[in-house]
Amino acid sequence: MTKSSPLAGTARSALDGLIGPARTQRLESARPLGDAIVLEGLAKTYPDDTAAVRGISFRVAAGESFGILGPNGAGKSTTIGMLGTLVKPTAGRAWVAGFDVVAEAAEVRRRIGFAMQQAGVDDFATPEELMILQGRLHGLRKHEAAARAGLLLGVMELAEEADRRLATLSGGTKRRVDLAASLMHLPPVLFLDEPTEGLDPRSRSGIWDTLDRLRSRLGVTLVLTTHYMQEGDRLCDRIAIIDRGRVVAEGTPAALKAAVRRDATLEDVYLHYTGRTFEDTRVAA
Amino acid sequence: MNAPAQALLLAQRALVQFPRNPILLGFSVMPVLIMYLVFGGLFEGVAELPGFPTENYFEYLAPTAILLATVPGIGNAGVALAADFQSGYFHKLLTTPTSVGALMLGRLLGDCLRLAVQASLVLLLAIALGAEVATGVPGALLMIVMGTLLGIVTFGAISANLAIRTRDAAAVQAIQPMAFLLIFLTSAYQSADHIDSGVLRTIIELNPAEHVLRPMRELMLSGYDWGGIGIGFLVIAALGVVALPLTARNYRSAYS
Repeated sequence: MTKSSPLAGTARSALDGLIGPARTQRLESARPLGDAIVLEGLAKTYPDDTAAVRGISFRVAAGESFGILGPNGAGKSTTIGMLGTLVKPTAGRAWVAGFDVVAEAAEVRRRIGFAMQQAGVDDFATPEELMILQGRLHGLRKHEAAARAGLLLGVMELAEEADRRLATLSGGTKRRVDLAASLMHLPPVLFLDEPTEGLDPRSRSGIWDTLDRLRSRLGVTLVLTTHYMQEGDRLCDRIAIIDRGRVVAEGTPAALKAAVRRDATLEDVYLHYTGRTFEDTRVAA
Repeated sequence: MNAPAQALLLAQRALVQFPRNPILLGFSVMPVLIMYLVFGGLFEGVAELPGFPTENYFEYLAPTAILLATVPGIGNAGVALAADFQSGYFHKLLTTPTSVGALMLGRLLGDCLRLAVQASLVLLLAIALGAEVATGVPGALLMIVMGTLLGIVTFGAISANLAIRTRDAAAVQAIQPMAFLLIFLTSAYQSADHIDSGVLRTIIELNPAEHVLRPMRELMLSGYDWGGIGIGFLVIAALGVVALPLTARNYRSAYS
């Protein structure tokens, strides 16, 4: 795995500033976890009879980085939406941080951060305001929220944009703000739906580096969806390849590739298990 | 953090958000002020009809202008809600431990304050044009409260539900003219006694907005008609009992 870091020195030190005091705080409030996430036969059929997810089961260990890889329309966003309590499953069960995503949705929400595929930001707010509100809604006091927003703005290299309206910022910058807002309460589980979609390579690399450090220093469990093979390779300890609402393969990137052939890529793995290339499925979608 | 505290934070957000959209801000107040001036000038002669309750038509028109500020004015809240869906921000809020009730109440509180300010501006213009509020400041506040609540339980609920269902700001904007109908089909511009058409008088009598407008006008022109005020609040409560649970249900449906 490439671990080169484009994270600027100031951002790196801001991240350390965030992690130092926050680590103790978060770990104190965390519930002892074995598997951070458990899915058992989770399924979703929408009212128009579209079966988006058709019975998915997997487990994600605490502190693990787990990727849900698949083309557009495979059911990735629905799956992560169910785990993030946004979408109600029609069958099966799932637990996040030890809590049932349906019966104990409020408890789940206290323990997750969720960065949306479509950057979920208020265009009339500034990044700082948005982040402070997010922190306050998670129960942080005003001064705590302001201090943490300042640190996270530094971590995400957003300090210069802190007071600008989000409407005036680029799509990539909005996504970084969304990610920063998702981290305001230092959640033990972080869901990222296509976290670097639409970002330039430098921004993408910066986010990867930040996620690496958050995970290694804070023990954050990451679940991300992506259709970028490189992202799956770079960020994930394990990957589930999903196609037409079903998991067709699951394992470490290395094991998945080795099972196909010695020099295989994740693209080859996808082709092997589905009989189609990513490009085919994109055209079909 | 408890639900009321979350609602206050979200109300604050709604209040900060609104003035940052100059088009929305301008178009929610200016048309009402212009309509008030134009209709007041055009129909000034109506006040000379025998039995008309006041000699100053702007005085008669002031409660109507308050309703024009609050009922169509609240439609902008639906537009803002639809914009939150379109931007994905509403779903971001749904992933926080914020209750659906707090999400709804927060917007409601913010909009109530905004509408009250808009209605006050209209009333100040009326006073500047020589109108007098017979019941003074308390009566003026009561008029503003009634107008604001009517806006919330009628077009506020309609636009919010439409925003949640369609998630399309343009669709919410498209139905805004309907809000004017609710007010035009009252004794807004002419006392019911001076309207010849029996059909129109029946429609006016059946229009819930009429039963809120009437006591407001009494507050403006003569005094406290407690019976009428009671009926006005009963109408608002009855509409609220239907509209608010329906809106809450639709808010919850945002979790698909």
